[in-house]
Amino acid sequence: MFKHLFKLIWNKRKQNFLFLSEILVSFLVIFAVFSFLTYYYQNYSKPLGFEYKKVWSINYDNGLLTKNNDSLAIFYDNLYKSLKAMPQIEEVSYTGGNFPYSNSNMSTGVNFHGKKFDHVNNYMVGNDYKKVLDVNLIEGRWFLPEDAVTKNKYVIINETLKKEMFGKETAVGKLIGNYDDKEKMKIVGVVQDLKANGDFWPAGNAMFNQLDTGYLKYNSYILVKVRESADATFESELYKFMANTMKNSIEIEHMDEMRDSKNEVTIIPMVIFIIIASFLIINVALGLFGVLWYNINKRKGEIGLRRAIGASGNAVSYQLVMEAMILATMSLIVGSFFAVQFPLLNVFNIPASVYVIAILLSILFIYLLVFACSLYPGKQAAGIHPAVALHEE
Amino acid sequence: MLKNYFKIAIAVLKRRKFFTFISLFGISFTLTILMVATAFMDKVISPDYPDYKRERSLYVATMEFKNTKEGWLNRSDVSYYFFDHYVSTLKTIEKMAISTNAKASNAYVNNKKIVIKYKYTNADYWNVLEYKFLEGKPFGQQEINNAEKVAVISEETKTAYFGDAKTVVGQYISADNVNYRVIGVVENVSETLYNFAGDMYLPYTVSKENYKRPELMGGYNAVLLAKSKADVPKMQKEFDQMMKRVPIPKDFDKVYSNADSFFASMTRRIAGDGTNNGLTVVVSILSVFVLLFLLLPTINLVNINITRILERSSEIGVRKAFGASSKTLVYQFIVENLILTFLGGFIGLLFSFLAIYLINDANLISNMRLSMNFMVLFYSLIACICFGLISGVYPAWRMSKLNIVKALKAQ
Repeated sequence: MFKHLFKLIWNKRKQNFLFLSEILVSFLVIFAVFSFLTYYYQNYSKPLGFEYKKVWSINYDNGLLTKNNDSLAIFYDNLYKSLKAMPQIEEVSYTGGNFPYSNSNMSTGVNFHGKKFDHVNNYMVGNDYKKVLDVNLIEGRWFLPEDAVTKNKYVIINETLKKEMFGKETAVGKLIGNYDDKEKMKIVGVVQDLKANGDFWPAGNAMFNQLDTGYLKYNSYILVKVRESADATFESELYKFMANTMKNSIEIEHMDEMRDSKNEVTIIPMVIFIIIASFLIINVALGLFGVLWYNINKRKGEIGLRRAIGASGNAVSYQLVMEAMILATMSLIVGSFFAVQFPLLNVFNIPASVYVIAILLSILFIYLLVFACSLYPGKQAAGIHPAVALHEE
Repeated sequence: MLKNYFKIAIAVLKRRKFFTFISLFGISFTLTILMVATAFMDKVISPDYPDYKRERSLYVATMEFKNTKEGWLNRSDVSYYFFDHYVSTLKTIEKMAISTNAKASNAYVNNKKIVIKYKYTNADYWNVLEYKFLEGKPFGQQEINNAEKVAVISEETKTAYFGDAKTVVGQYISADNVNYRVIGVVENVSETLYNFAGDMYLPYTVSKENYKRPELMGGYNAVLLAKSKADVPKMQKEFDQMMKRVPIPKDFDKVYSNADSFFASMTRRIAGDGTNNGLTVVVSILSVFVLLFLLLPTINLVNINITRILERSSEIGVRKAFGASSKTLVYQFIVENLILTFLGGFIGLLFSFLAIYLINDANLISNMRLSMNFMVLFYSLIACICFGLISGVYPAWRMSKLNIVKALKAQ
């Protein structure tokens, strides 16, 4: 049966060539779309790792502050106390510029037993950062104020980095080297991943450092967790207070709005991409449908003859659908050959599972598409009356 | 002759309505997407409010330090000191517009938060760029020298801050806890013009940061205006000459800054660095993308055209038998295909108007107003012709090779 179908296909290779290339290109487009979607979905389904609602960020210009470390420490300590004393504010923490949903990134490398881990997000965090963002600890503990004076610097790492570095072993208490492996840092805790770049992006490797007095002169962000009672009136009071304290420019942003705009940057291009891809696919589907329909009308004689020698209507329509499916399979083999290179070569550093799922989904999609497009023409062929068809011939 | 082809084409289109629909759908949607993309590119690239003098302007936006031995790289905006101390000595510059990048600040009015993006500018900024003043006037050298707290605000800020007040010149607007006197209101600028969009424009002398600090990196960028279009290459050369005299900062061995044309300044930001303006990279990526996008509808159209043409084999056979040459036939089919493409193009044009209207209405990018102008129309016409030719040539060639006897026998 299959041998016969292949012979039929081979006899019309010239006509089928365009059909094949069309399916091939559609497969590649669909593969790209599904890769994106799978990647985003995999990330989306992971927990966020922190709480963003009711958190505001205050960005201040530190240009006019003194650069003296001791007076700065006193200044910031007083500022912390004044903010904490406001009834609408629950928690306050200083933070480096790369807090979640900000557009800032800071990364470094770390070493462990001679192995280097690059692109580790490096967060500078105050002691109350955990309370402000409600970060979940998995192992160990969070920073304590007295940690600032220890011999080895204390750090906290995230789950992903822990898994890469230690696998199933415990991480707390281990010493790791900094970017050039000169200084040692001691891990005191492991936290759940924080998806800091929005819902659709992975957390990546991350390391948290305690924000000490030496860093204060570079610092220009405060995160505050506010209570339900905090409204716009309070915000403008807070703004005035900060502007008076800093004598320089201030900006207050709400983390939930920052999250929305961060997600939008991913969603809008994705929606445009999906719209374009679906138009392309509708276009291709109509084209396939048209070509199949035409081909079957042209083969009336052959089909009529088959019916006349006893083939049932179902058998005829099965044959035509199978022919289309075999053609699709040929294209898919070529397409999969290209697509498989992505996980094999580890393109864009995306987990192989994303590509594998995307390939499977695309194959399924193309089969469904071809099946749907050949179903009606196949059924029409089954309805051909042998006497009429042969008379025409 | 053409009239005849036209009549045949219409008759053929009417005969197989389903195929006609598929072709038209493919053509019109492809062109719609191309047109909307062109309208967007046109908005970004061609001179637009308030930056009309691009032909005789060069843009300086980045300063780059490099340590080639260690592989260090520092890139940032440019300092005011650099423009004032080095660039202003160039003789070919007629005027120079200096401004900071927009920085956000908050203002609170009637329990509502307004985000105000403010920029510090010099006096010539208003002479180089043609902002449209709805009321009032810009600040001049006098106000700058006196460090007066005056502000030019955008129409959007006016409505957000003052509500529907008729005139606001002379009133005060408070941002960063400083009261600025409004002296002018300008029309909104599309956010696609990264360097010129803002809600409030202030004299650089009121900036709280020390703009006199003798460093090369800072928060400023500039537009250099030459006297005429012909002077632009001279100005660029002079700028490069001047860069050789700029002292290299400690710890580094190279310093780069470039005066680019508008498009090059954009591609440099996306794909370039100090030595390479990224133009070729961006242009080739864009072209590859467009080609790939066109591939699928084109294959589809070729597929359908072949089907349609083979269906007419008897007609071709008869014409050939009566002496029509292959060339005539190819010509006829290409013309037919072009007619179909133009028809699709027309429908696509209607769709594009709708799409552009929807995009403008949704205000996807703040204050961006896409429009269909002659340039966009011209490009879409070219796209139509290319599309029609590409998808028509192969089927026409296949058809012209058809054997007369075979074609007639099929009947």
